[in-house]
Amino acid sequence: MFDNLIVELGPWSWWLAGLALLAAELVLPGFFLVWIGLAAIIVGALSLLFWESSFWVWQVQGLVFAATAVIVTLIGRRYLYNNNQVTDEPFLNQRGASLVGRTATLDQPIAEGRGRIRLNDTYWTVSGPDLPVGTRVKVVASNGRELTVEPV
Amino acid sequence: MVVGGFSIVVIALVVFVILVLFAGIKTVPQGYRYTVQRFGRYIRTLEPGLNLIVPFIETIGMRMNVMEQVLAVPTQEVITKDNASISADAVAFFQVLNAAQAAYQITNLESAILNLTKTNIRSVMGSMDLDELLSNRDAINERLLRVVDEAVEPWGIKVTRVEIKDIQPPKDLVDAMGRQMKAEREKRAQVLEAEGLRNAQILRAEGAKQAAVLQAEGQREAAFRNAEARERLAEAEAKATRVVSEAIAEGNVQAINYFVAQKYTEALTAIGSASNSKIVLMPMEASSIIGSLGGIGAIAREVFGDNGDGSGVPQPSRPRSGSARTTPSINPLPPKET
Repeated sequence: MFDNLIVELGPWSWWLAGLALLAAELVLPGFFLVWIGLAAIIVGALSLLFWESSFWVWQVQGLVFAATAVIVTLIGRRYLYNNNQVTDEPFLNQRGASLVGRTATLDQPIAEGRGRIRLNDTYWTVSGPDLPVGTRVKVVASNGRELTVEPV
Repeated sequence: MVVGGFSIVVIALVVFVILVLFAGIKTVPQGYRYTVQRFGRYIRTLEPGLNLIVPFIETIGMRMNVMEQVLAVPTQEVITKDNASISADAVAFFQVLNAAQAAYQITNLESAILNLTKTNIRSVMGSMDLDELLSNRDAINERLLRVVDEAVEPWGIKVTRVEIKDIQPPKDLVDAMGRQMKAEREKRAQVLEAEGLRNAQILRAEGAKQAAVLQAEGQREAAFRNAEARERLAEAEAKATRVVSEAIAEGNVQAINYFVAQKYTEALTAIGSASNSKIVLMPMEASSIIGSLGGIGAIAREVFGDNGDGSGVPQPSRPRSGSARTTPSINPLPPKET
């Protein structure tokens, strides 16, 4: 029955499969069905071209589909998406980085390269040149937990 | 339709490719970091967004939450420095700043932070008196934060705040504190009342004293003035007498006799004309009236000379000064001997 359906639909069965996969991507979480769906649609387009050819048997179609899926994924990762997209909240979940540029006064002297400042109602360990208590410092960099400061 | 080996391989390949894609494509949601392990060893951390990992050799290790999280520190019994047993609970906020460290440096992160906070609450509160404890929450929070934050540093997390939520002394202690406060306020009230009374009495006494002083001063002043008045009076009398006696000394004694006689008869007239008296007072020496008349006569004689007929007129002896019999009047001052 299923075979009959595929035979009957011909190349359109790939299109159907592709659309079904894309629809599933919308419903299911994750981000990988979309590439397989796109691959299926591409194979469907090729099928429309080569449906009458003798070499375009279903095994070949399967191989082409597998290859296309991998290629589409790589291309999509490379061109459609990059991690450095512009966002309106570049410092989300990067507490240290969001403090760069702020000034504060030293709560503890910087001795042996480490001291403490108070920012946003909490304490931060800072590193920088040795300075006495009460010096105004500016945050120039952060490596997550520790801030690098220099005197203003 | 005979299914050949090739066909089976193709089907298997398609399934395999799908599985590979499923394993290789990793989408990390915002607020999380995934660690990647290659053959079990940590390699890198995946940032939020679409990521690819190499299937077979790379796997996802830990899914770390890098959002700030709240830990409720459950109520625990703490003994203070002055041996009061209190129960305190707290709340701690922490955030993973380095996903790899938080994932691999410590097992069971939350329990670690929780226990650290609990033990530090005990040590910080155990070094304070109960009164200090109840009034210095900020200092306690600050000390806790400093200690706990230093301790969690190697785990790549940051404790942003530790706050004592509730400090509950035992009920009998609370009652005692309430009584103490009440007693203190009552003491203050009584002291104030007593002070008020004392001040009022002092003021009253001072007023009375001042009144007495003023009165005495007034009396003294009055006495002074009275004495002065009497002095002045005496002086005036003395002066008057002196003037009279001078006048007498200069003139004739008869002049005064005239005055005296006049007064004498006037007095008699007054006695006689008393409206409802049946008794007529007469001087002991009735003759002295006549004497006084004689005095007038003598004056007249002196004035008009001795040529008038005085046959019907009795001749009184010429009064000598100093004679009380013939001059019936007060003689205030003896005649001055010159």
